Amino acid sequence: MYEISLLTVMSFSVIFALSLNLITGFCGQISLGHAAFYGIGAYTAALFTTDGGSFWLALPLAMAVAGFFGFIVGFASLRVRHDFLAITTMGVGFLFTGFVRQQEFLGGEEGIAGIPDPGIGQIPYMLLCAAFAAAVIAFSLYVKRSWMGQAFDAIATDEDTARTLGVDVARYKLTAFVFGTALAGLAGALFAHYVKFVEVESFDFIESISVLAMVIVGGIGSVWGVVVAAAFLSVLPLLLQVFADYKLLIYGVLLFAVMYFAPGGIDSLMRMLWRRISGRRTAE
Amino acid sequence: MDALLSISGVSVRFGGVDALADVGFEVAKGALLGLIGPNGAGKTTMLRAVTGMVRPQTGSIVLDGAEISRLPTHRRVRLGLGLSQQIVRPFAGMTAVENVALAAGYAKTADPLKALATASRQAERDRARTLLDLVGVADAADALPAELPLGYLKRVEVARALALDPKVLLLDEPLAGLNTSEAARLADTVVDLNRQGTTVVLIEHNLSEVMRVCRQLVVLDNGRKIGDGDPAEVMADPAVRDAYLGAASEAPGEARDAAA
Amino acid sequence: MNYSDLLVQGLVEGCIYALIAVGLTLVYGLLRILHIAHAGIFTLGAYVGLLLTNETGSFAAAFVITIVAVGFFGMAFYRLFYEPILNKPPHVALIASIGLFVAMEEIYRLIFGATSISFLAPPLKDTVEVAGVRLEEGRIVVVILAVVLIGGLALLAGRTRIGIAWRATVSDAAMAESFGIDLARVRYINFFVASALAAAAGIMVALLLNQVIPTMGGVPAYKALAIIVLGGLGNVKGTLIAALALGVIESFGTIYLDRVLDRDAIAFAFLIVVLMIRPQGLFARR
Repeated sequence: MYEISLLTVMSFSVIFALSLNLITGFCGQISLGHAAFYGIGAYTAALFTTDGGSFWLALPLAMAVAGFFGFIVGFASLRVRHDFLAITTMGVGFLFTGFVRQQEFLGGEEGIAGIPDPGIGQIPYMLLCAAFAAAVIAFSLYVKRSWMGQAFDAIATDEDTARTLGVDVARYKLTAFVFGTALAGLAGALFAHYVKFVEVESFDFIESISVLAMVIVGGIGSVWGVVVAAAFLSVLPLLLQVFADYKLLIYGVLLFAVMYFAPGGIDSLMRMLWRRISGRRTAE
Repeated sequence: MDALLSISGVSVRFGGVDALADVGFEVAKGALLGLIGPNGAGKTTMLRAVTGMVRPQTGSIVLDGAEISRLPTHRRVRLGLGLSQQIVRPFAGMTAVENVALAAGYAKTADPLKALATASRQAERDRARTLLDLVGVADAADALPAELPLGYLKRVEVARALALDPKVLLLDEPLAGLNTSEAARLADTVVDLNRQGTTVVLIEHNLSEVMRVCRQLVVLDNGRKIGDGDPAEVMADPAVRDAYLGAASEAPGEARDAAA
Repeated sequence: MNYSDLLVQGLVEGCIYALIAVGLTLVYGLLRILHIAHAGIFTLGAYVGLLLTNETGSFAAAFVITIVAVGFFGMAFYRLFYEPILNKPPHVALIASIGLFVAMEEIYRLIFGATSISFLAPPLKDTVEVAGVRLEEGRIVVVILAVVLIGGLALLAGRTRIGIAWRATVSDAAMAESFGIDLARVRYINFFVASALAAAAGIMVALLLNQVIPTMGGVPAYKALAIIVLGGLGNVKGTLIAALALGVIESFGTIYLDRVLDRDAIAFAFLIVVLMIRPQGLFARR
C-alpha cells in the first residue's frame, strides 16, 4: 500500500514540475508563484466534488480555471521581464494565499475537508495519476520537438530577436502560461483527491519554491531531468524521515548548490558523464 | 517609380536628442539602396524604426501599400521585412543551421497552435543549408554560435534574414568583420539576390563595396537626410563629401576602417 | 481607530519597510542581484539582538553590537556566496539567493528552535503621546532610527569619498573602475550597510512584536521586494517613498480591504496594479 502512495505522489509531482518547466524552462519566463495555480486547481476540484460534482468533470474544470487565471497572469509577462516578472509572479502567489485566507466559501484558514473519494480504489487512482504523468511527459517531449518548442527556445534566449524572425512573442508566452498553469491545475486536482483535504499552506511561497527546486535541480528546460528530480524530491520525504525533517534545508541547499556548481542541473551532469563515458570508449 | 517601401517624415527622439528628424525616402521595387552616413547619423535607428524596434514619434512607413508604422515587429516581418542586425544576435543554444531553419519555418511559427501541430523540420533544415551555402558558410552549419568567428556569424545572420523570404532585405553592416575577399563575395551574393528580385536596403561602412554594388544612395548626417539619388552624383555633392567624408579620407575604401 | 492613528501606525510600519528595502535596493543597484536572502539577514539581526539584550540587559549596547556584527556577516555572505557567481546569467544569483534564504530559515529553526523567543524584560514598551496619538516608545525609536540611519547614509553618500565612489559604481561600474575605484571594496561596504540596516529592522520588529521566530523574515522581506520594484529597482528615493506609501496603504487597507485580502497580500495587489500600468515601477531609474 505504501508503494502505491509513493507512486501517486510522484505522479502528480512530476505533472506539477513539468507544468512549471513549460513556462520557466521552455519559454524562459520565471515564475515564483506557480503553487497558486496548483492551488487553484485543487480548490476548484475540491469545491466541485464536495458539492456533489463528478470527479471526472472536476479534472477538466480544474484545468480550465487554472488555465484561465494563468492566461491573466500571462499578461504580466508581456508587461514586465526578468527580475520584475520574478517578483510579480511571487506577488501572484501571495495574492492567492492572501485571498483564500479571507474567503469563507474556500474554508479560509481551515481549508476544505471531506473531499469525496474518486471511488475507483487506490491502485486504479495511482494508475490514473501515473497515466496522466506519462501523458504530460510525452506532451512535454513533443512540445520541445515541435515548432512551438523552437519558438519557445528562441523567446527564452532572446525575445527581441525572436520578434525580428516574425515570432509573435506575446501569443507564445500566453500559450506557455495557459498550458503550464492548466497542467498545474490538473496536478492540483489530483493532489486534492488524493489527500482529500486542501488548505492554503499547501500552496504558499514555499511550495512554489519547492516546485522551482525540482525544475532547477532537474535542469531548466530538460524534460527527463525534471522528471527525475521531481520523482526523487517528492518521495524522499516519505521514504526517509531525515529528509522529511530537513526537507526545506535540503531544498535550499540544493537550489543554491545547483546554481553555484552546476546551473544545468541533473541534465547537464548526465550529459557530461555520458560524454566522458563515450569519450573513453572512442579513445580505447 | 514603383515604391515598395516608402518612408516619410520619420522622427525619433531619444531623451532630448533628435536621432532622426523628418527623414523620408523611397525604396523602389528591385532597388539596391545604400543607406550611409557617419557614425551616429541615425542609420541603424532608421532600420529599427522600419522594423518597429523603436517607435518613431511621427512619420509613416508604407510597405507594399500597407501602412506598417503602428504594427508590432513580428507583423511587419511577416509582411515582408528581413533584418540582419549590426550586432549579431544568434540564438546561443541552436546551431547555425537551426538558427536559420527557425526563420525559414516562419509559416509554421505564425500561430502557436499551428506550431504545436507540426514537428517536421527537414524542409526548413534543407533550405537553411542552401542559404548558408549561398552566403559562404556551409561548413559552419552544425556549429554552435559560440564556436564561430564573427565573420561567420555575420553571414549566418544574413542567411537567417534571407530565410524569411523578405520583400525587402534590411542589412545593417553585413560586411563588417569580413576580410576583403569574403566581403566582396557576400556583396556579390547580395547583388545576385537583388537581381533575382529581392529589394535590398544596405547600411555599410565599406564604401568601396557600397559604391560598387548600390544603385541608389541615401545619406544621413545627424539624423537628417542630406543626399538621395544616383551614387556617383550623391558622392559628388560637396555637402555629402563634407559631412560624410570630412577630413577622414578622399578614397572611399578607407573610411570603413575609420568608422569601424 | 481614527485616521491620524492609522496614518501614524502606517508611517511607523513604512519606516521598518524602508530600513529593510533600502538595503535590498542598494544591493540591486550595485550588483543587479535580487538579494532574497536579505530576509535571512534581517532575521539573524532579530535573533542576535534579542539574545544579546537578554544576555547583557542593555538593549542599546545589544543593538549597536548586533548591527555591526551582522554588517560584517553580510560582507562575508557576499564574499562566500555571491562574488563567485556575479558573472553568471541573472537567474543564477536570484535562485541561489532563494535557496540561501530557505536554508537560513531552516538553520535558525535547528539552532534556536521552531518556537518563538521573547525579551526577558522588553524595553521601550511605555506609551507616550505625540501630537494626540498614543504611541509605544519602540515605535518612536523605529522612526528615529530610520531617519537617522537612512538620512546619515544619504549624507555620507553625498559628502564622502567612499560615498562618491559608491555612486559612481552604481551608475557605471566599468567607468568607475577605470577611474581607480576599488570595486570590491565598494561592494563590501555596500553589503555591510545593507545588512546592518536589515539587522536594525530585525531587532526593532523583534521588539515591537516581542518575539522572534525562524520564519519572521518572510513576509516583511517579500514586501520589501515589492517595495523596491515599486520604487524602481535600484532607486533609493523611490524605495523610501514606496516603503512609506505601502505602510500607510496597508494601515488603511486593513480597515477597508480586510474582507477581500489579508494585510500581507495588499502590498502585492498594489504592486501588480502599478506594474501593469507602469512596468518600470513608480520611479524608474532613468
